[in-house]
Amino acid sequence: METTLRPQRRFKRSKLPKIIRLLLGIIVVALIIWRLYLVLLVQREYTPDIWLRLLFSGLIIGGVYSLIAIGYTLVYGILRMINFAHGEVMMLGTFGGYLVFEATKTIQVAGESGLTISQAHPFLSVVLAFITGMLVSASAGFFLEKIAYRPLRKAPRLIPLISAIGASIFLQNAAQLLFSPQTRDYTNPPAIARGMGWKIMVNQTSVIIPYTGVLTFVLSISFMIALYLVVRKTKLGKAMRAVAADKNTAALMGIDVDGIISRTFIISGILAGAAGVMWGLHNGLVYYFVGFLPGIKAFTSAVLGGIGNIPGAMLGGMLLGLIESLGPTALGISYQLKDVLAFAILIVILIFRPSGILGEVLSEEKV
Amino acid sequence: MNNYPLRTSAKKGLIFAVVLIFLVLIDFQVMAATMISKAMGTNVVSGGIPEVQYMIIFLVLYGMWIGSNASPKEGRLRDKLLGGLVAGLTLGLVIAFFDLILTYLLRSGIDVRRYLSALGPNSMRVFLLDQLEAGPVYHLLLFGAAGFLGGLLKILFNSEPVKRFFKNIKTWIQQTRQKVNQSMPPWLTKYGIYVIYVLIGLAAFFIPRSWGSYNNYVLGLVGLYVILGIGLNVIVGLSGQLMLGFAAFFAMGAYSVALLNAPFPHNILLGFWPSLLVGVVMAVLAAVLLGLPVMGLRGDYLAIVTLGFGEIIRILLKSDLLTAYTGGPRGIQNIQGPTLFGRPFSNDVAFTYIILVFVALSIFIYTRLERSRTGRAWLAVKEDTKVAEATGVNIKKSKLLALCIGAAFAGLAGGIFAARNLFTGPNDHQLMVSMNILSILIVGGMNSVPGIILGAFTLKGLPEILREIENYRLLVFGGLLVFMMIVRPEGLWPATRPNLEAQASQKVPEEDAPETGGPHD
Repeated sequence: METTLRPQRRFKRSKLPKIIRLLLGIIVVALIIWRLYLVLLVQREYTPDIWLRLLFSGLIIGGVYSLIAIGYTLVYGILRMINFAHGEVMMLGTFGGYLVFEATKTIQVAGESGLTISQAHPFLSVVLAFITGMLVSASAGFFLEKIAYRPLRKAPRLIPLISAIGASIFLQNAAQLLFSPQTRDYTNPPAIARGMGWKIMVNQTSVIIPYTGVLTFVLSISFMIALYLVVRKTKLGKAMRAVAADKNTAALMGIDVDGIISRTFIISGILAGAAGVMWGLHNGLVYYFVGFLPGIKAFTSAVLGGIGNIPGAMLGGMLLGLIESLGPTALGISYQLKDVLAFAILIVILIFRPSGILGEVLSEEKV
Repeated sequence: MNNYPLRTSAKKGLIFAVVLIFLVLIDFQVMAATMISKAMGTNVVSGGIPEVQYMIIFLVLYGMWIGSNASPKEGRLRDKLLGGLVAGLTLGLVIAFFDLILTYLLRSGIDVRRYLSALGPNSMRVFLLDQLEAGPVYHLLLFGAAGFLGGLLKILFNSEPVKRFFKNIKTWIQQTRQKVNQSMPPWLTKYGIYVIYVLIGLAAFFIPRSWGSYNNYVLGLVGLYVILGIGLNVIVGLSGQLMLGFAAFFAMGAYSVALLNAPFPHNILLGFWPSLLVGVVMAVLAAVLLGLPVMGLRGDYLAIVTLGFGEIIRILLKSDLLTAYTGGPRGIQNIQGPTLFGRPFSNDVAFTYIILVFVALSIFIYTRLERSRTGRAWLAVKEDTKVAEATGVNIKKSKLLALCIGAAFAGLAGGIFAARNLFTGPNDHQLMVSMNILSILIVGGMNSVPGIILGAFTLKGLPEILREIENYRLLVFGGLLVFMMIVRPEGLWPATRPNLEAQASQKVPEEDAPETGGPHD
């Protein structure tokens, strides 16, 4: 009898991880509810104007995260690979915009006395900066794919990931060596200087809606709509969806798979470049490491919304931005720990619902 | 085949020109010339500018490399000869235009260092070979000649007599090796390996005493990274889980030793050895806590989760929240050193001994583990999870075990690291530490102890010895990771066992091999 029982016992799965997962979940939820109760109902330290300000900053940052997250999601949907260097692509775009703003700040308009381009034509210089940032990031994405990922198309999954990590380290340090490790101030045109904005009165206190924030939010929403239209309505979008669904069949249908993958990287680079310039305009700092945290957080948002899912990435980005800006205050923890909050959300999402809020959109092959 | 071989050569010249411009923008050329001048015996003052002739040597070498690269392997002799020349001239032409910009900048005295921090006037001048007017012409001629020479050398090396010569040398080496093997007495072949072990042990005992403290420091650092590499190899190499937050376990060990041995936050002063044990246990506990919930995730998700875990630990250590317990952003100072039989045992030499002993222990444990039932189960899980499960391996348990054992190595290394530096802080446990360890594994070769040691020497030891590289270390790291993945994913010194299996299976489908070719083909 004993000998027959033994193998059964060996194959019995242990329930410990599930129990621990459940316990962890209960603890996390209970903690959050307790802190929320304490801060919102018992202490009531914060007045509505503070909440409004946090809400605005969350929406603005959320827009930037959404744009970067779309890049992750597009690439993951097609190549089944985390483009770890995407944050660095965004960083290069930020630098592109920075150099344009520096140039427009120094070059003077002919004829008029002492006015620089950024003073005389702020609109033009912003457009130029966005175009440059997008171009830089798009070409970075294109060459990244061509050099670091294309030769590894058929390799096991972890090998492109390691290559991506290497590319990320390389780009970071290339930027550090090129532009020196110091942190620089982003020079906005004076018309949209940071801190300026429309004032509205809430509870007898004025809340500023910054121009840069409105610009960022409006631009990111319009980029998202444009991308959605491209993916849904154009031939390129159709081809992208086909390649994401099944590369081999797409190739049989006459789709140039390599070309579509290249174009996907260019599109995600364009979005990342725009996000980079927005990040610089709104946050005002640029240095070689500027892409790392937004990159990781944008990946978190992509996972939060469901990887491979474009509306999911947009929703996830907005949600993460809001959680990040409202969360520390609502939970009554130090604002220093907002990065911990983002990473914790990533871990919690991956443990409890790896497919995200709106669900993954991945093909059947090799998941 | 390629109908326009010269066009390809010109294209290669263009690519290499862009690369060279990038190198100039990050001041790489000065570093290279400094190293050449050092190799030839002339010392350059640190931070100084090398003399022009060494810059010429560097540029000629670069041009020759391109020439040999761009000269087509097959085809007519004319194309082979001209290929190098065309590539060199293309490179020279592009660089000549770049030179014009540099000359303009030098002439008008515009300082671009605010934006391109590495482009100082001195390094520009030495790149232009101290010839402001004729610099472009010199470059054009120099690169053309060097490219032609490179192409010529390639033709020479690919010619029949040279090939035959190398083949003869190879067979000669093989023959002598066989002869030596046959003529060795039987006791030597049986116990020879032990003789080597004893020799290594004696060397490890005597060398640190006669070395200076700096060499001991470097050796100790390499040793610590060997331990860390072995630990990460258990997780990544054996059980196949990509872990990007390994520094968290390292931090567990370091902070355990630091907090239990430093006067400031708690003043416990437990002593080094017990606290080292505590550090290992803490690291294993962290691994269990992390591992139980996330073990079931897909490979790349697991990588990101562990990265998040590592960052959470680092930010928490840095935050004001835990300052009272962990010393906050300033870290923990004045960590007490270890003692041996009641006497202090904490000078450089002593630490080198401690590290070497633990390295030997780690290697021993690792080799036993790899060949054990558990180790084979890990490899099975890595290769094919479903088949492994079907043959009776408990997937989750074995993955978790791998994580714990790997973490134990990291805790050990962290504890020694903190005690040796007398200090530890949040900045010792950044993401770059995890990445460094991963690069050691990948560059050296996974699942191969000599590979890990080689990797630790090349990635941690060499930059310490060659101080000039210091600035470019991480850049080279990143590039190396990509390069290794594309060209040689198995590492510099790959493991023997999987290789044999791969060779046996590769004999059947031969068409698959060229698909992992170089990036530029």
